[in-house]
Amino acid sequence: MDLLVTLAVLTLQIVLLFNVVMFIVLALVWLERKVLGRVHQRMGPMRVGPHGTLQSLADGIKLLLKEDLAPSSAERFAFLLAPLLVFAPSFLVFVAIPFTRDIVVRNLALGLVYFVAVSSLSTVGMVLAGWSSSNKYALIGAARTAAQLISYEIPLVLVVLSVAMLGGTLDLRGLVESQGQAGPYVLWQPLGALIFIMAALAEVFRPPFDIPVAESEVLGGPMIEYSGMRWGLFFMAEYGNAFAFSALFVLLFLGGWQGPLLPPILWFLLKTSAVILVFFWMRAAMPRLRIDQLMGFAWEVLLPFAFLNLFLTGVVQLYRWPLWSLSLLSLTGLLALGYVVERGRVTWRRSPSLAS
Amino acid sequence: MATFPFAGVLKSLWVTLRTAVRKPVTVQYPTVRVPYAPRMRGFPALIWDDAVGEHFCTGCQVCARYCPTNAIFVTMKNNPLNQTGQSPRRKIVNQFYLDYGRCIQCKICVDVCNFDAIEMSHETEFSEWDKRALIFDVRDLLHMETLANPRTKQVVTRR
Repeated sequence: MDLLVTLAVLTLQIVLLFNVVMFIVLALVWLERKVLGRVHQRMGPMRVGPHGTLQSLADGIKLLLKEDLAPSSAERFAFLLAPLLVFAPSFLVFVAIPFTRDIVVRNLALGLVYFVAVSSLSTVGMVLAGWSSSNKYALIGAARTAAQLISYEIPLVLVVLSVAMLGGTLDLRGLVESQGQAGPYVLWQPLGALIFIMAALAEVFRPPFDIPVAESEVLGGPMIEYSGMRWGLFFMAEYGNAFAFSALFVLLFLGGWQGPLLPPILWFLLKTSAVILVFFWMRAAMPRLRIDQLMGFAWEVLLPFAFLNLFLTGVVQLYRWPLWSLSLLSLTGLLALGYVVERGRVTWRRSPSLAS
Repeated sequence: MATFPFAGVLKSLWVTLRTAVRKPVTVQYPTVRVPYAPRMRGFPALIWDDAVGEHFCTGCQVCARYCPTNAIFVTMKNNPLNQTGQSPRRKIVNQFYLDYGRCIQCKICVDVCNFDAIEMSHETEFSEWDKRALIFDVRDLLHMETLANPRTKQVVTRR
């Protein structure tokens, strides 16, 4: 009997969470198209529903009604499995995200580790999709996905680690509560916050780091052969991941659900929306990097600065310097990173094939 | 000449922010319409000579010969009004067929016409299920405003 009740509650939680994630994804797709449209001085979707709010729903229905195609030369089992492998992790990370102190499916003591570990699993699905499609563009995209993952996972984890050092815990709820006393960590670690944003953009394949799924280069990369709802799963995973990473940014750097006056859930959603908007803004503002520029940036710029961030945090904590000194040091690091980025832009890296 | 940290990134963000707060330049087309520029090329139409009460077109076939897509077919007849002395034109248009499915709106027929009898109208909205419905005869070409979308009522006059 107890088992049945537990199962029922779990099922209910999962269904509820799934619906929330679905709603968030649909809303994000609409929002992105609106934001992009306004940047281009267009209106974006306007027809379906007031100001096109039901456009993503209509698109979803269209995807559901489409035929489920698989190329005859594809590895059929892997081909059908891959979208699920991509979607499942992006859904699973929501289990550990505390929307507020109390609205969380399971608050894990190692929530941060769980998040980083599970969110990088979707790359397995991407590589599988690219391999099983038996399409050269899909394979190139899959190879790029793997390359991008190993490049950006390391700076991301180092930044996350330095935040965990500041908070003294790997529990997401605990981390947010530690920011209640110390102030949001973006004040003390601006360098870390920036590296996190860059690495997160690469992690969720958002422009300017959308190289694995670049439409103009590899025609959508691993999902090139997919159609109908299997393609829709990739799509939902992308936006689910984007939301998850902005939520993580809010939890780690912006003080989570804490804020004056408004109820906590509203604060959390407001902050997350702001970060998501920055993601969309970046997409509108920046051109895509080339694959070698991306790898070079990750290994030669982002990784050393992530280590610097970790080092500064460690030194400040070891000698018990006041927190504002960390803020100053981190800001200096930020400016140095900015200088390097700007210099990289002005003296543009030539492609390796042209270098000889 | 590296100057300011993140100068390139900040500049791109600033430019996109500025365009994002501007008013959209597009409109919701079928319901909202931007007024056409006076010299916009729609499909060509024939012009009526009000002074005499007949076509300017004499059916000389110059337009048909110069039409790059062979969209025009014209024949000529003796002008009955000329015989009674009401019109200076000895010949007048008999049949005039213009296939809007072939017309590329190049305005060559207007340029070559010796009698300024054909002019570019502002009508463009001729969606049909059957392409044969796009072949217009001499009467249709004169009264284009009644054939086209009533919202863009446009009377073709000499410019």
